[in-house]
Amino acid sequence: MELFKLEFGLVFWMFVAFLCLFFLLSKFAWPAIIKAIEDRGELIDKGVAYAQEAKSQLDNAKTEADKLVAEARSQQNDILREAAKMRNQIIENARGEAQVEARKVFDAAQLSIEQARRESEEQLRREVSEIALQIAEKVLRSHISDDKAQQELVKKYLNEVETKN
Amino acid sequence: MNKLISAIIALAIVGLMALGYTSTMHHRAHSNGEEAAIDPKEVIFDHLGDAYGWEVPFDHSSRIPLPIIVKGANGWHVFSSARVTNGGTCEGFYMAKEGDYKGRVVEMVNGAEVRPLDFSITKNVAGIFISAVIVLCMMLSLKRWYKNQGFKAPRGFKGMLEVTVNYVYNDTIRPILGKDAPRYAPYLLTAFFLILTMNLMGLMVVFPGGANITGNLAVTMVMALCTFAITTFTGNREYWKEIFWPDVPLALKFPIPMMPLIEILGMFTKPIALMIRLFANMLGGHMVVIVLVLLIFIFSTMFGLAMGAVTSLFSVLFALFMLALDTLVSFIQAYVFTILSTIFISMAHPVHHHAEAKE
Repeated sequence: MELFKLEFGLVFWMFVAFLCLFFLLSKFAWPAIIKAIEDRGELIDKGVAYAQEAKSQLDNAKTEADKLVAEARSQQNDILREAAKMRNQIIENARGEAQVEARKVFDAAQLSIEQARRESEEQLRREVSEIALQIAEKVLRSHISDDKAQQELVKKYLNEVETKN
Repeated sequence: MNKLISAIIALAIVGLMALGYTSTMHHRAHSNGEEAAIDPKEVIFDHLGDAYGWEVPFDHSSRIPLPIIVKGANGWHVFSSARVTNGGTCEGFYMAKEGDYKGRVVEMVNGAEVRPLDFSITKNVAGIFISAVIVLCMMLSLKRWYKNQGFKAPRGFKGMLEVTVNYVYNDTIRPILGKDAPRYAPYLLTAFFLILTMNLMGLMVVFPGGANITGNLAVTMVMALCTFAITTFTGNREYWKEIFWPDVPLALKFPIPMMPLIEILGMFTKPIALMIRLFANMLGGHMVVIVLVLLIFIFSTMFGLAMGAVTSLFSVLFALFMLALDTLVSFIQAYVFTILSTIFISMAHPVHHHAEAKE
């Protein structure tokens, strides 16, 4: 059975070759190769996770954007409604104020008219009385030329004054 | 186009077969004269065994010479194998023609053939070196790729290498060894790729291949010894406890240490099984192919050329099938060696014996 014979030389060289290969590869090749494969695997895993996250974020972003738009729209409606309300209120206020102002102006005008009227009345009265007095004076001067009549009249006036008082 | 190429290849193969067949028959008829019968056993052992030179195709007499390194009775000698192959004698050494050392370099000391200490670079040794260099170049080129290309995945052959490394390391070694994986991965990966390369090189018929390396007991023994050494020298206390005081009923280990004996035997049967499995698988594959090819010549000497031609068709088809199968077996055996070594190493590092037993 020569196939089962062990040749010492072959065993020796096999051992030497294997050990050399083992040391060379375990120093220069295996750690680097394994590390590279693992690093790349990790990178790919990370990439996939990142992509998934990005996708979910993108999906969320869309719904979020929709939500934001809806919110903005409702806010806009609120604002518009409020603005309308405010406008109405302002108009109402303005109207009220204008009425008050108008009344004031009206009152003032009435007052001044009244005053003017009163003044003019007064003046008229004064003028009338003055004219009347002048007329009366003239009348009196022409009528009461004698003392008797004068004394008579004075007496009458004095009486009148006395009864009035 | 593809059909044309296939037809040309098929024609070329048939032509080569015919050429090889006629030239061999011619050669045999001339060199052996009337005795054209061949000795199958010799041919088989010639092809499966080791040799001092490397055959070249279509030529039976010339060999690629390899260095012979021997330590004889008077010191070291180094010379080319070409000087002793054809019956020559060099520095007192010659090839034994018969006896225990048939085909080996011997020297005559005091009238008796003595085998010197032989460190020759034989065909198998050269094959081992070539395979080792191939593995080294492959892995260094893969490493260079990572260094230069960063995170880019390798393409083509390097991609295949990466897939294989990844398969052996990430899918086999790591799940079995767990956190110990980085420590033992260099040995296991080196063993896997060296065995795989040697297996495949053995299947190639011409020069860089053709040496039946892993079909040689010495080679597989070295590999098995490495695994044995690792399991024995790195085994932890739990491992030795399981061998000498296993978790079995007392009657099985005291007073007659039956289980310890079986366990100790198991320490040795495991690497021996590794050694024999790889050796027998590769040897068997080679042997079947050679026998199939030999059938052509046996039948043609027995029944004439026509029968030989018919046999050659079937033989070559079967041999082709066997070679394809051997390619598969090359990978499977390298993988089996690696995975079993991994398992043996993991068995030498039991962590929680009771937890494992429950599983």
